[in-house]
Amino acid sequence: MYKTIFSLALKNALLRKTRALLLIFMIASSMSFMLSLEGLYNGMTKNMIDMTLRSDTGEVSIYAKDYRLKQEIKYAIKEAQSIKDQLQHHPSITSVITRLKVSGLGASATKSYPVDLIGINLIEEESFGEFSAFVKEGNLDLGKNGCIVGKQLAKDLKLRLNAKLVFSTQDSSNTLQSKLLRVKAIVHTTNINIDNKAIFIPKKVLSEFIGVDPALATQIAIRTQDKDLQEELRLRYRKLEVLNLSEINPMLAQMKEMMVVFNAISFSIVMGVVFIGILGVMYVSILERIREFGIMLAVGYSYTNIQIQVIFEAVFLALLGFLLGSIFSLASLYYLSHYGLDLSEFSDGLQSFGMSSIIYGDIQPEYFLRTFYAIIFASVLSVFLPLRTIKKLNPVDVIKADS
Amino acid sequence: MFELAIKNILFYKGRSITTFLLSYISATFFVIYVAFLDGSHISMLQNSLKVYTGSIQIYQKDYRDEGGYDYLIYNNQKIFNILDKTEGIEAYTSRVETFGIVSTQENSSAMMLSGVNFEKEANISELKNALIEGVYNSYDNCLYMGVDLAKKLDLSLNDEVSFVGSAIESSFVADIFKVCGIFRTGMYEFDANSAFLNRNYFDTLFYAQNTSSYIVVKAKDLNKNDALASNIRSHLSENEKLYTWQELMSAMVEAMKVDSIFGYISMALLFFVIFFVILIYGFINISARIKEFGTLKSIGISDRQIDTLLFLEIFIISIFALILAGLSGGYVAYYYELHPIVIEGMSEIYKDYGIISDEIPTSFNLYTIFCNVGLILFLNLLSIVYPIYYVRQYSPIEAMRHV
Amino acid sequence: MIQLKHVNKYFFKGQSREVHALRDISLQIQQGEFVALSGSSGCGKTTLLNAMGVLDNIDSGEIYLNNKEISHLDAKEKTNIRLYEVGFVFQAYNLIPVLSVKENISFIMKMQNIDQQQIQNRVQELAKILQIEDKLELLPSRLSGGQQQRVAVARAVATKPKIILADEPTANLDSKNSKALMDMMRELNQKENITIVFASHDEMVVNAVDKVIRLDDGKLV
Repeated sequence: MYKTIFSLALKNALLRKTRALLLIFMIASSMSFMLSLEGLYNGMTKNMIDMTLRSDTGEVSIYAKDYRLKQEIKYAIKEAQSIKDQLQHHPSITSVITRLKVSGLGASATKSYPVDLIGINLIEEESFGEFSAFVKEGNLDLGKNGCIVGKQLAKDLKLRLNAKLVFSTQDSSNTLQSKLLRVKAIVHTTNINIDNKAIFIPKKVLSEFIGVDPALATQIAIRTQDKDLQEELRLRYRKLEVLNLSEINPMLAQMKEMMVVFNAISFSIVMGVVFIGILGVMYVSILERIREFGIMLAVGYSYTNIQIQVIFEAVFLALLGFLLGSIFSLASLYYLSHYGLDLSEFSDGLQSFGMSSIIYGDIQPEYFLRTFYAIIFASVLSVFLPLRTIKKLNPVDVIKADS
Repeated sequence: MFELAIKNILFYKGRSITTFLLSYISATFFVIYVAFLDGSHISMLQNSLKVYTGSIQIYQKDYRDEGGYDYLIYNNQKIFNILDKTEGIEAYTSRVETFGIVSTQENSSAMMLSGVNFEKEANISELKNALIEGVYNSYDNCLYMGVDLAKKLDLSLNDEVSFVGSAIESSFVADIFKVCGIFRTGMYEFDANSAFLNRNYFDTLFYAQNTSSYIVVKAKDLNKNDALASNIRSHLSENEKLYTWQELMSAMVEAMKVDSIFGYISMALLFFVIFFVILIYGFINISARIKEFGTLKSIGISDRQIDTLLFLEIFIISIFALILAGLSGGYVAYYYELHPIVIEGMSEIYKDYGIISDEIPTSFNLYTIFCNVGLILFLNLLSIVYPIYYVRQYSPIEAMRHV
Repeated sequence: MIQLKHVNKYFFKGQSREVHALRDISLQIQQGEFVALSGSSGCGKTTLLNAMGVLDNIDSGEIYLNNKEISHLDAKEKTNIRLYEVGFVFQAYNLIPVLSVKENISFIMKMQNIDQQQIQNRVQELAKILQIEDKLELLPSRLSGGQQQRVAVARAVATKPKIILADEPTANLDSKNSKALMDMMRELNQKENITIVFASHDEMVVNAVDKVIRLDDGKLV
């Protein structure tokens, strides 16, 4: 019996080919457009967050109290090295590093600019966030007096590889000091705090330059997948500030939230309109065949069978749309995730806001799963209103009824 | 045909109401969305250029590319003479900018020190309006300092700071300044790095008489800025270069363009889906009336007249919906232009991105509204192309026999 | 006034299911004649009627309307023929559902840009003849089958075309309404000298006309 019902459903679903094709194509193209956009926006946000995690904060960062407000060396973490040594053995921590930062004036041959000089350990940075992947020009063999400069900063100071740069600041004894550096590499992290302002040198060199204990650090950054780690560390290091990405960079956290909200709204609106489309097609399709249903009821075909048939018709069309849409979406998302959307024409503008000029998309199975449920739900829901029309009538009235 | 179109619209209520509602909602949403998008962009750009940049800047050739004291304007008066004779200028002034290190006993920072004519600056930038403490119109060695720089150095009014930099003829400059005024523009980078000195005192200290890093011009009417720029440019020599605010803030302008592009792409998704639904509803309605069209063809109505009938049906529904949408969307845009939405704390979160105000205004622009509504009308009219083609495929006999 | 010369019509020409619907038809119908095309179901009556009204194309031969050859005109000219020269009455009435009775009748007159006063007078005149004066403001869905068919007739004759082609006009009517319709059409034929050609297998129609043209398997008998 179910074979008959499904066979009837299939034939009826494709009876009006143009109409069916229009509906299938509408579902497919809307779905692929929507998922491509969602993938692109998510990829953009994910990339920005990932870059910030890798180049700066990690999932958790530790600062001395008042450091983030004052940004002065006297508010550095004095016991940073021992804390780092302790944390390195923590089971949920994949990587922990220390950094030392001072602000001052960076001067090239022709220009000057406020900059941050950040002391790092390149080997540790590599395991922390694949630092070498940020390098756009040059290499990380710093030699004597070598430094690494953020891309936008290099542009602002008109610096090329091997150019000289003088950094001036007050050291720990409040004496004005200057250091000559030579640009060995230029990095692009999409983190504007780094690209627009940062110069990296070995931490040991910076400690010596400003006359502080090499164990001192202004930041301890941690990579972890453990969401409870921050609370644990907060309790352990009560005298220090233990912060996550959202707390350090609320703009990024807000951007991520906004993306979620935006994608949810887009999804709801698109699925809502798809629902209206399926409703329209199914409504007309059922009303056109009301006499046919009346005859079927009269010869013993139950109302339940009609329900199953009609639901199956709607689901069948929706599924075809979903399948076609999945093919389009996969193709488009694959392209976006591998080749990205090239916005090089707007690279200056994008860079100034810390964004890469090529935006890569993100593919997640949940995009398809969520869309599948929504489309099935919409298609099943869409037939209940027209089915009620048949349910209210008796077979004789249905046979007599005009479409 | 017009009368028949009206009757058909009123008769086939389902299709008419769906088309009307979808067109109205999408058009209203589009108008409001673009108003907010444009409004926020214009607000960002205008706030930034009002604060300090100005609408036009005149430089010595190569100053912006090379920088340094070699490329200063060494004869202000020559350019002042040109500007005095040019109409459309509200005010102009000369600025000299240099970078140095400013230090307290405890702290130091890089600083951009500018020598300005405070009276003239009051007519050109927001520096005077940005005063939050102390006096604006300083003399002698009084500094007018950004609030975030003062915070960084832990300075209050009347505190003294030392400054080290270099003069125009490359000798060292060192002096002690007093903080006489503190300002807040809301542009974080500016407030954290800038301080201003009376021009006369600056010239003496830096040997900068009759010299400028650049001359900034304020146009009487920002809408006529490009014409003013062309006019001034025609009188400058080859060694002088003029930049409008679009060129000076090109990165921001580009970023706004990208933001707009993404905004329109997101809207396009909505229109895409709505277009299909209107197309499907229109197609279903029309295909159900094929017999009727066959009758019309057989009694002497031409294909073209039937095309006109179908076109009129969609046009009339759309026009009503879109006029209403234009009015309601336009009202919202107008209202929020006068009473912008305020999101407390937004400028604090997005300060790194140049957002200086918590207000999000809209931009009420009749031409833009007209274009937006026109686009929806175009899409609606496009949706009837396939149904018209479909009806034309039928000969009168085939149409009358259509089931 | 309408003349057919060696008219042939095929359906599905060149295919295995080819049907020779009209076989070398030659006939002549004079102005003012009241004629029926009769024959069994599938004999080609409707096909012949449609060909006369240039609703359908023929494969060979010629059709003349008032000495003008009309079968080889382009689509636009054929539409004009149907608008100005020919009136149709269909089996399924085919009224425009959104227009009232009055509007359905006056529709073609409006297409011909006839003066509003003339339209009003003509509508009243026809409504009186066809006994639908009290139905003028109603939509077709509010009328019985017989009434709808009378409206269709009124629409067809409104502009005084040279010829009315009626395809099975009584097929969906009971005997009483069929007789009433035929009487009314006879009255119109006599009063306005309009040529009326019926395609029908209804004996009542065949008996009511002046001339019967019989068809069998696409051929004249």
